Amino acid sequence: MKPPTPILVCFVASLVLLGQPQAPVNPEAAIQQDFQKRIGDYLKLRKTIEGPRLKPTASVEKIEHHEKEFAHKIREARRSARHGDIFSPEISSEFRRLIALAMQGPNAGRVEKSLRSAEPEVRAKVRVEVNHKYPPSVPLQSTPPTLLVNLPQLPPELEYRVVGHYLALMDSKANLILDYIPNAIP
Amino acid sequence: MRRSVFFLVLASLVLNAADLTLPLKPKSVHFAVIGDSGTGEKGQYEVGEQMAKYREKFPYDFVLMLGDNIYGGESPADFKAKFEDPYKTLLDRGVKFYASLGNHDNPNQRFYKPFNMGEKRYYNFKNGNVEFFALDSSYMDPQQLDWLQERLKASNAAWKICYFHHPLYSDGKFHGPDADLRARLEPIFLKSGVKIVLSVHEHLYERVQPQKGINYFILGNSGQLRIHDIRPSSTMAKAFDKDQCFMLIEVAGDECYFQTITRRGDTADSGVIQ
Repeated sequence: MKPPTPILVCFVASLVLLGQPQAPVNPEAAIQQDFQKRIGDYLKLRKTIEGPRLKPTASVEKIEHHEKEFAHKIREARRSARHGDIFSPEISSEFRRLIALAMQGPNAGRVEKSLRSAEPEVRAKVRVEVNHKYPPSVPLQSTPPTLLVNLPQLPPELEYRVVGHYLALMDSKANLILDYIPNAIP
Repeated sequence: MRRSVFFLVLASLVLNAADLTLPLKPKSVHFAVIGDSGTGEKGQYEVGEQMAKYREKFPYDFVLMLGDNIYGGESPADFKAKFEDPYKTLLDRGVKFYASLGNHDNPNQRFYKPFNMGEKRYYNFKNGNVEFFALDSSYMDPQQLDWLQERLKASNAAWKICYFHHPLYSDGKFHGPDADLRARLEPIFLKSGVKIVLSVHEHLYERVQPQKGINYFILGNSGQLRIHDIRPSSTMAKAFDKDQCFMLIEVAGDECYFQTITRRGDTADSGVIQ
């Protein structure tokens, strides 16, 4: 029996492939795209409610009022926001994987040490909940730069904050927690 | 009576002049430095008084703030008690304050005009042959690192001074150095010719032995103070953890003079960097 010609083999193979669902080339990329979309949706909402831009002022009352007003409007607009709206289970898993990667190898010791030098009251006093503010009396834990290099980049309006073992996503101008990942930090 | 008053005044002027170790060279850049200052307590006010007193002999036009500018709250009353009142004499005389953010500071301090941050969490400015880079070490993201590299590369200043909250080297027991920040920042500083780095976070004063040619200082006791917090090591050149302090710095050509002064007006440290 004659072997099938190369053209015939390719034709049959392409039929088989077209009939099968396409496996994602990079599933992590799809998750990161989903994350950026959720961030983009939040930014669109934020833009509609921010109002006049706060300019540098000697009036602390104005700065305080602007932050409070802005936070209030965001809370109102996101009244039904829940944990997982931005950090879905798949996105949270991906973030945990990226954080674990960042804390491996030669980086491990120094990132851990940086996290352990947090003020002890940070872990005890911050209630990590969606739409809650970060209390002014509690110092911030610095977010190690090695973590930030490994996580998806954020626009300047948002930041990642480490609170104990949580990774929180915050709107820095409104001083609001938008979502969080529990047990993100080993 | 008048003669005794005259001699008393003359004696006090002589004593004050002798307390200043800085050379006051023509056309030099003069500034003061404070860190971890914003307690609103007696120690901070007394440091402010000494800063005003020393300014009469060493006229400086600006002050660097290394973070933890306001502790405990960010209300108008907090700003008044923890910044506007302690430094009122200086503010009334037109002295500018250039703040960086600490871990006790709300990032919205960048909108407070007297901190001269221009709405930015990190920024730079130049005075004479010195360029200053104020960084936000609580959130050293890739965008800030890129910005810093670009600005340092573009700078032709003879002296590049970086200041930010978390120290890269520290012999303080409470916090210690931030090794991850050091891993990211030190290579940039070395590549760009940064000569002086000022930080705080530890509530004491320390001058670190030069590390790869860079001079590191910690000045975290301009309001706060943690007594007996130093754990001396081979990296420590000088430390002082018994009282609050501020620094005066004079950059004259290729020399940088410094003097660290306590709230009682005594000199805790002084020297010159070339």
